Amino acid sequence: MNAWPARTFATGLLGASLFASAACARAAELNLWVMSTTEQQQQDMRELLRPFIASNPTLRVNVTVLNWESAWAKITAAAASGQGPDVLELGTTWVAAISSMGALEPLSEQQQNEAGGAKAFFPVMWGTTHRLDDAKVFAIPWYADARAAFYRTDVFKKAGIEARDAFANWGSFKQAMQKINGTEIGGKKIAALGYPGKNDWNVVHNLAPWIWNAGGDVLSSDGKRSAINSTESVQAIVYYTSFAAEGLVPRGALEKDSGQIESGFFNGQYAVIFTGPWILKQMRTPKAKGGQLETVTAANFGIAPYPAGLKGNQTFFSGSDLAIMKSSKNKTEAWKLLAYLTGRDSQVSFSKMSGMLPTRLDAASDPSLMSDPHYAQFIAQVKNGRHYAAIPGWGPLESVYLKNLGNMFDIVGGLKGKYSALAIKQAMDAAAQEADQVLSSSR
Amino acid sequence: MAMRKKRFDAFPYLLLLPAALLMLAVNLTPIVQGFTMSLLKLNQFTLGQYLDAPFVGLDNYRRVLFDADNPLRHGLGLALRNTALFTLTVSVLAIGIGLAVALLMNRDFAGKGIARTLLLLPWIVPSYVVGTLWGFMWQRDVGIVNVVLVDWLHLLSERPFWLLGSNSFWAIVIPTVWRAWPVMMLIFLAALQSIPEEPYEAATIDGVSRWKQFLHITLPLLKPVIVIQLMFQIIDNVYSYNIVSMMFGQGAGYPGEWADLLMPMLTRQSFNYWLFGQGAAVSFITMTLMLVFVGAWLKAFRRSMTGDD
Repeated sequence: MNAWPARTFATGLLGASLFASAACARAAELNLWVMSTTEQQQQDMRELLRPFIASNPTLRVNVTVLNWESAWAKITAAAASGQGPDVLELGTTWVAAISSMGALEPLSEQQQNEAGGAKAFFPVMWGTTHRLDDAKVFAIPWYADARAAFYRTDVFKKAGIEARDAFANWGSFKQAMQKINGTEIGGKKIAALGYPGKNDWNVVHNLAPWIWNAGGDVLSSDGKRSAINSTESVQAIVYYTSFAAEGLVPRGALEKDSGQIESGFFNGQYAVIFTGPWILKQMRTPKAKGGQLETVTAANFGIAPYPAGLKGNQTFFSGSDLAIMKSSKNKTEAWKLLAYLTGRDSQVSFSKMSGMLPTRLDAASDPSLMSDPHYAQFIAQVKNGRHYAAIPGWGPLESVYLKNLGNMFDIVGGLKGKYSALAIKQAMDAAAQEADQVLSSSR
Repeated sequence: MAMRKKRFDAFPYLLLLPAALLMLAVNLTPIVQGFTMSLLKLNQFTLGQYLDAPFVGLDNYRRVLFDADNPLRHGLGLALRNTALFTLTVSVLAIGIGLAVALLMNRDFAGKGIARTLLLLPWIVPSYVVGTLWGFMWQRDVGIVNVVLVDWLHLLSERPFWLLGSNSFWAIVIPTVWRAWPVMMLIFLAALQSIPEEPYEAATIDGVSRWKQFLHITLPLLKPVIVIQLMFQIIDNVYSYNIVSMMFGQGAGYPGEWADLLMPMLTRQSFNYWLFGQGAAVSFITMTLMLVFVGAWLKAFRRSMTGDD
């Protein structure tokens, strides 16, 4: 092999980079990692950052878009090696874990106040910026995801059911679903409810609000033991799965993922689904641009809260926070960028791009967002939200639940023994045992 | 035959040295690093220190082998059972179908080249694509498998689940065989073409039936190829990962009690449960077992593979 071209090239590269670094001596470069939440995240981020770049001409921001599927591995690798971006997006359940690895820069009292402090944000979102057992704040909430019921107004009308009554409590909800199941719309029978089963990322998130509303929890209050097999939790899981066992959720749904259930709702397969604010954006977007605007569903839907269990009607809140890595060499500039992105205007813009909710209360009630009646309706339903306990070992725990709750759908589908409250209880006992082992090994 | 004794010539070895060193470095570095990791307490909190994490000696091995309360071992028995059944079924089917089709293809007919190319198509599809693709095909309501079995052929009265329950075993076996047999066929075809015509001619003259010719001429002559292919199949299938991980929620879900194989299980539980040191220990144990297996296999079949007596 002839080494000369390579050597010349390397020398040239070195020269060029020296030249470049001399020329840009004053321009600080910031690396930002975000997850792909919008359709065209890279372009959307450029748009979102335009005003920031304009007012900080000496700063350069390099945006890297990560997939949700691979982000965790990349972020833990960055946290472990100390070779990461200046500012990064973290799923709300990850902040405790990554900060426990010592990879994040704590945010000072002054910085927190500058961002508005706890009172400026949904309290449940602010709770994700620090560990449950430690008040030190490592992140600022950026955008939120909450869940509510979406229902077909035309189906409810035809079945003679008032949504207010249907979503009042668990008893009325079950009755309403029984009455609605099989209602014919345009000659086609519609199933009462759609929810995904086994092969889905959201299994735990889907069950959590039902468990909380029954007075149960996924974790004991000290965060040390699993509570998935408590009487209340099991009651909730049995109630939730009974819809599938009784045929109110079509059997085929049990192997579907969230995306497939959402398209089923758009196609008129289900009268009710529980999901997040992003489908509002889909139903506003014309089909030519990948949306669902022209569907019958988009013209006939309403939003309702979770039906109340014995202990309330909370929804599941999650989303993303932004944090600064300890390894950042430009912490002052990194903070500027973080403060800009979590500011009111950016949050409103990002909400319009992504369909997710702002985390700031003033941004969430921004008139330009509230002018959409469905958005206003959604915001009104999710005031009452809850998040998982912010413990460093949440990740492994969620994996255990994902596996065990997913596997439970074999029982629900009648493919592994007979479905009964006892079978579910036994499955949850096994899940709790595995969860406790994971909790004790991650301490 | 007397051989003239040659003087040792170092020059060819010198030429081979850089490549050999590079191969050694590329293969050996991760093995040594993996083994080092298996002696450390590597979890979420110590990952940042990486190789400076606390040294725990063989404790990871003890926990993997003897600690029944270890979360990494949850479902290990099922995964071992599934992997054994999966490996056996896939290897036998892939080699059987590959050999049968190779025998059919080993004759002259018009369009032979095109037929051979078409048959190879499944093998070209990357395994993770196969997993995703068949994941759609197995869907109960809209998947093509049930459309064919239930709607077109009316073989079943009710739509079965393929991705839930015990059918999920077949949901991973069938695509794996589908992707594996074509290359078996290609290799057997090459082997068949190297078998001389004469024994068959002699046998035909003696009135030996085609079946007996296959049993007593073809099969013995193919034995070296079969033995080595069987070994590769066993290695491949024990290490199978892509199809399972893509088919069930693209890594989200749990493939279930009937489709969880050893590699997806160990990956999931060492990475998702943050038991990195133990994960390294398990990898080392698996590698050692595989080395022993390959060594034993080669020793047992050395004669038939080299033709030496």
